[in-house]
Amino acid sequence: MDAAITTLPDPVPTERPLHSPQALHPALWFGHQLGRSAEQAVPTGFAALDQQLPGGGWPRRVLSELLLPHPGVGEIRLLSACLVATQRAGRLVMLFDPPAALSAWALADLGFDVEQLLIVNTRARVVPGSDSLWALEQSLKSGHVGAVLAWLPPRLRAERLRRLQLAAHAHDGPAFVLRELAAAERPTATPLRLALKPRGADVLEVRILKRRGPPLEVALRLALPPVLSRVAAQRAHAGVVRQPALRPATFVDLAPSVVE
Amino acid sequence: MLWIALHLPLLSLESFAATVAGGADPRAAAAAPLALMDAQRIVSANAAAQALGIKAGLKRATALALVPQLVLGRADRTRDEQAFEPVAHAALAFTPSVSIQPGESAETAPNTVLLEVEASLRYFGGLPRLLQGLLSALQPLNHRIHCVSAPTPHGAALLARVHRRLACADLDATARALEAAPVWLLGPGQEHWDALQGMGLRTLGDLRSVPRAGLARRFGESLLNELDRALGLEPDPRVAIVLPPVFESRLELFARADTTEQVLHGASVLLARLVLWLAARQAFVRHFTLVMQHEARWRRSHDAPRSTALEIALAEPSRDSAHLLVLLRERLARLQLPAPTIDLCLRADDISQRTVPNQDLFPTSRSEREGLVQLIERLQARLGPEQVQRLHPVDDHRPECGSRIEATNGEIPLRSGLARPSPVPRPALRLKRLKPGIAPSSAKRAAVVASPTRPRRPTPRPVWLLPQPEPLPEHHSRPLLGGEPLQLLSGPERIEAGWWDTALAERDYFIAQAADGALVWIYRARLPLSAVEGEQGWFMQGRFG
Repeated sequence: MDAAITTLPDPVPTERPLHSPQALHPALWFGHQLGRSAEQAVPTGFAALDQQLPGGGWPRRVLSELLLPHPGVGEIRLLSACLVATQRAGRLVMLFDPPAALSAWALADLGFDVEQLLIVNTRARVVPGSDSLWALEQSLKSGHVGAVLAWLPPRLRAERLRRLQLAAHAHDGPAFVLRELAAAERPTATPLRLALKPRGADVLEVRILKRRGPPLEVALRLALPPVLSRVAAQRAHAGVVRQPALRPATFVDLAPSVVE
Repeated sequence: MLWIALHLPLLSLESFAATVAGGADPRAAAAAPLALMDAQRIVSANAAAQALGIKAGLKRATALALVPQLVLGRADRTRDEQAFEPVAHAALAFTPSVSIQPGESAETAPNTVLLEVEASLRYFGGLPRLLQGLLSALQPLNHRIHCVSAPTPHGAALLARVHRRLACADLDATARALEAAPVWLLGPGQEHWDALQGMGLRTLGDLRSVPRAGLARRFGESLLNELDRALGLEPDPRVAIVLPPVFESRLELFARADTTEQVLHGASVLLARLVLWLAARQAFVRHFTLVMQHEARWRRSHDAPRSTALEIALAEPSRDSAHLLVLLRERLARLQLPAPTIDLCLRADDISQRTVPNQDLFPTSRSEREGLVQLIERLQARLGPEQVQRLHPVDDHRPECGSRIEATNGEIPLRSGLARPSPVPRPALRLKRLKPGIAPSSAKRAAVVASPTRPRRPTPRPVWLLPQPEPLPEHHSRPLLGGEPLQLLSGPERIEAGWWDTALAERDYFIAQAADGALVWIYRARLPLSAVEGEQGWFMQGRFG
């Protein structure tokens, strides 16, 4: 019996530790590195943001969650570069339940081909036995849509979002879900979560709440495609509060030519 | 000549089963015990009923005592013919010469279809692949099918009644197979069955071995003629059937369908028939109608309609049965039946002849387009066609009139990636400067256009427009939003339009910054003395998204 018990040899130490295990497979990365994926990401149009996003842009085949305090903080301008590029590649962009009426001229100014956009209202009528996310899930699952932008109902349950996230695996393109800021306190199934906040005129503050990679402490400040003229932007920066004319007949012209 | 005989031994039972609504699950329908009876005796029973002990010859009371939930029906010649027709249509997709073997007796509906396929063999890649294609085309009808090929039509039809699968390559093989077949296969043989059995003639081989003259004297010429035709000794001309130019198929339901799900079960049977008819016509359906006849006695009110017609129009003609069924299910789910349905009728109103699209191995832009068409049709079927919308710019200075929302007409708003037009030009006159003397010089204007950091247009518009301009409170003539003063950054831009209709707008617009830094678009009504109350002061109309 004793003969059977032998001391096991020490495990042979590996010759040297792998210097770059992340070179083995695109799905491997170190904790201090940004995550990568086999899918090519879609550039956001903002170099500072591209640097901080895993893969260097908006990810494909997963949901990207954007949290906003209210519509109209610059979210469309943030996403316009990616969505316009999708349209120029000949693919369809679908918008689900936009929170207000969209202005065709403003979208055309941002470079959109307005007539190629498809807008789906899922909450206009209550369909028995179905939910408003059915249409979004079908569109993600079909895999034929180029990009999806969806405004989710408030206080959405986590499993509903997880279901959408599973459906997004079939979706070859970026998919954005826009939610209220209070959702930041609850966990999410989406691998990317950003909080957006206006920070002055034409400046958007982006905090990356969740990403594949180390947490980012500092908030990014992105200069959006400007709405204001240079002079008006300077005025906003200086914080000068202009008093409007008291009576309509004596309007002060705030046009740049006058101020200069 | 090579003939294929498709024989449906359980046609009456299966056509009865199709009318029994088994709910949404077809497997549940198959599990329900069904039986057909004639003169108070069971004639045939399905597998579920046989497993419970029901067999042919049982009395009705005995069968019901054995299986109380047994659903009993009667064979119906019209119903069988309606169920048999799509089998012949399916065959027409493979060869133009299809004929129907008459029924075994005058009362029974025909249940054997004959296809002459010699000319089609090469196109379909040989007999085994042709048979495979034929049987998979018939799969949705849920019939049990005997399939026999032989050089003579009558030989194939006779052998199909006793063999499930058989292929006779030449006349000798057919003769050998027929010699082993029982003698009751021959139509006139049935009435002489007892006499033939008494003479010890059980198979067709026995019949051939006795002298012809004696047989002809005892049983008539027709018995031997039929055998000769089966063996190929006598000519056997057949009349090919012609596909009906319009499709209309009826299904009388066995039980009242109270819910749309039960209707769907019957409608799926009709849809399978439609798809086979379309395949035989090499066509695709663009518009079809499902008419539901209601039972008059059970109507909720007297003015309720006697029938409901459900019209389904497709953006892209299709004969994909799964897609058509999804559309029908979504439309039926939205429908409220005024009364129980007893009868269904499916009609193809508009078909289009097209070439069959090629199958793609890898996703292409065309396959993506087709997928999108189907997706949009599915969304429209559930949400309503008006909920899937497109935006159109309108040449109007008033922002609330600058966009028009239209329900998409099903056409995919996709252009090829390269041929993308430049953004739609704005109307030329958008800006009215208050002081025309100090208009920016043309050089400055050029700089505005050239600089990439500048907005492309001098008068930007907000992406989000509020449905109604929101009145803003005023404090020391400064507009407030959320209790905080707004900082005016740019403006005014005067918009004065709409004198031609009732919505006259005379406003001075400003871009303002809210306390949290977001930009909003506000205006002041320019006519403070206008009589209309509530149209004065500051309003917020949009947000820069």
